[in-house]
Order: sequence, then structure tokens, then C-alpha cells
Amino acid sequence: MDKPEKFIIDGIRLDGRKPDELRPMKIEVGVLNRADGSCYLEFGKNKVLAAVYGPREVHPRHMQKPTTAVVRFKYNMASFSVEERKRPGPDRRSIEVSKVSREAVEPMIFTEYFPKSAIDIFVEVLQADAGTRTAGINAASVALADASIPMRGLVSSCAVGKVDGELVLDLMKDEDNYGEADVPVAMTPDGEITLLQMDGNLTKEELKKAVEMATEGCKQIYKLQRDALIERYKKDLEEHKEEVELVEIIAESEETSIESTIDNTDESGGLNDE
Amino acid sequence: MINEDLVEQGFALPGELIGTNEEFTKGEQTFDEGGNIYASVMGCVELHKQSRIISVKPVINPLNYIQNQDIVIGRVTAIRNSVVLVEITHIKGKGERKIINLGQAAIHVSNIRDAYVDNISRELCPFDIVKAKVIDVESMRLTTAGKELGVMKAFCSKCRQQLHKNGVKLVCKSCGNKETRKISVNYGTGII
Repeated sequence: MDKPEKFIIDGIRLDGRKPDELRPMKIEVGVLNRADGSCYLEFGKNKVLAAVYGPREVHPRHMQKPTTAVVRFKYNMASFSVEERKRPGPDRRSIEVSKVSREAVEPMIFTEYFPKSAIDIFVEVLQADAGTRTAGINAASVALADASIPMRGLVSSCAVGKVDGELVLDLMKDEDNYGEADVPVAMTPDGEITLLQMDGNLTKEELKKAVEMATEGCKQIYKLQRDALIERYKKDLEEHKEEVELVEIIAESEETSIESTIDNTDESGGLNDE
Repeated sequence: MINEDLVEQGFALPGELIGTNEEFTKGEQTFDEGGNIYASVMGCVELHKQSRIISVKPVINPLNYIQNQDIVIGRVTAIRNSVVLVEITHIKGKGERKIINLGQAAIHVSNIRDAYVDNISRELCPFDIVKAKVIDVESMRLTTAGKELGVMKAFCSKCRQQLHKNGVKLVCKSCGNKETRKISVNYGTGII
């Protein structure tokens, strides 16, 4: 798509959102069986999958720290995640995103509880549409909670950008490509910022306003993350309940089968008597 | 196990306020910041009535810790004068998640069996797979006293082939060597 002439028409953006509106987000928790914690997240057209492993042994051994756990974050984009095929494997951009994302979630984890171990976080971007690092951080944070890793809180993340000279929340692809600035922010529920980057230029006042807008966005995202985790817990409870019921049913059927066998012997005994 | 002293206080997510310093003592899976007590994992908040300890019990994918009275599976790594060292690999009924407080575990001679043990090497040998019960997590002491507990799989000391159970003794089918162990009733069955 070529650069549109105007990004905001009558206060409505290209995809029909208001300037301070997030794209719809869908979070599913516990989607991977083999991972200790996992999360699938859709954020507009973004689709990301996060998996958490650990605390586990550190390999290679020289990476291990005697007093704390090492947190390793790997952000990777699938070759089919963008329109033009992306050359697979780590590149300059994904290494940078991995680093900043790790630094966004690491302060929330009680790494001091797990010396000489590693907590591995993997984020795979299946479909990209601007703001994949924020989506990745949101997914990683939910996956960490799913893995029951002790944390100070959940990290939420969203971006603020500037198009047509106006600040907008959560850029989509065209706004990101042709906009004037992009500011991804990650923060704790208390409003402490763990990630702040800026691509493009903003004035001092604009940046202040941008952080305020991002705070609002992160609050909304935190609610979604919270709901998703509660949903996961409820599902787990139901499964558990079903299991218990199943055990009860099996126990009951065994009892009845024992009773019926007793009945049979009685009958056969009766027949023999005759 | 239902503990009547515990009162459920609802559900909490990491970072959620569950109480203050003045009313409760922080228990497991909680942290204290600025006089407030927060949950550090997702789970059910539990309050101990007498001690006023507030703790959070993880509900999904809990971390795997070895606890007292757990039945564990491990391999004998070495034999010392009066102890057998064991490398634990699995806890009964705890799934496949990595064990966090993993370390070298030890079985003292007095805990190998209920009877007197004259020679350790007649009871346990290096490379044996044993089923044991944890009696003290602090010093990682195990015991194999009990019918269910003991060697689950042993290897011939001469030819390294698997030993087969023959009455109370173990026999090597390839070289005919006979050995003795403190065997579990589940020897060779793979039943944990």
C-alpha cells in the first residue's frame, strides 16, 4: 500500500479507530503442552506465540550466575510473518528486540529465588502488523504467570505514535511505515516503565503526552491479561472437576459391577440348588 | 489433605495486594513492599487462622519442589563409608517439570532397611535405580526402609547386564552372577 494522503479523517483513523483506541486483543493461556507456561496472543493483525521454560539448568554452563537466575528472551519472526518473505534466523533487529524485551520483563521476575538456573522465554511472531515487540512482551508476561514463576506483577506494553502531527495509540502497519514517530512503552501495573524506545522525533511535551496515552493503553491491556489468566484458571478448575467426577463414576461403576457379580453367583448358586 | 486452620481468601494474580504487614505475616509465594503484602504467583490466597500467615497456593503449573515425605526416583552415584549418594531425577506424581531444589541426596546406612546392615554394597550399588522417600529436605536425606522402597533396577557388577529377580536374590542371565540388594516389591516392573 502506498502512503495515504491523510491518516486521520474527522478524528477517525484508517482502520476506523479513534486516536486513543487500541486494536482488539485476544489472549489464550496454556496453549502449548510441552512448555511450562505459554500464551497465544492476537493484537489486531499481529499473531504471536510465547513459551516459557524453567527455571531449569543453564546451558552453556558459563552463562549461569551463582546468585540469580538468568533470563533469556528470544524474539523471532517467522519467515511468513510479513508480506515479503523474511530471511529466517536472528538479525540485527530481532537481537535488539530480544534484548529490550528481556529488560522489560526481567525486573518483574524474582530471579534471586533461583540461583544457577535459567528462565527461557521464546516469542514467535507468526503474523506481523506493527507493534510486535509490545505484543511479544504482553504474551511473555502472561506466559510467565502461567508458568507460576514468582513475579512482582504483570508487564503490559503498547505503543504510541505520531501521524499527521497527532499522537495516536497503538500504531498499525501503515501508520508505522509512513508515520512520523513510534514509541513502544512497557510498564508495570503501578506505572513503572520498563521499556521506552523512540523511533522518529517527538518534542518534550509530545513525549510526555505519549507516555500518558501509553499508560492508559497499558491499563486496558493489563485488564485483558488478567481476564485471560482468570479464564485459564476457571478452565483448569472445570477440567479438574470433570476428572474428579470421572473418578467417582468409575468407582461407582466398579461398585455396581462387583454387586452384579455377587448377584450372578447368587443366582447360579440358586440354580445349582435346584 | 484438608487443613481446617486454613481459610481460603479468594484468588490473586502476581502483584496483587492481598494484605498488609500489620495484619498478616507473609507466607509462601508472597512478597512485602512498602508495608503491603502482594501475591507473587497466580493462585488461591490462604490464611492460617492461628499464626496469621498469609500465603498463595499456585493453581496451575506449580513449580516442582522436593518436599518431605515425597517418593522420589533416582540413581545411586557413589557409596561412602556410611552413606549412599543418590541423584534424584523424578518425584512421584509431580509431572515432568524440572525440580528446583535438586541436589545430592544421601541415604544413611541406618535408613537403608529396618534391619541391621552389615555391608552397604550388599544393599545398594552405584548405577542402581532406587525408589526412596524423603525424610529431610534440608539435608536431603532419603530412606529406603519399607516394602515399596528400594532398588527398582540393578546391574550386574561383572558384566553390567540387567539383573533379574529370583526369589530374594538377583541373578544375571548372561553370566549367572548372583547378587543381593535391598529390593523394592516393584523391582523390574517400572511401577513408581
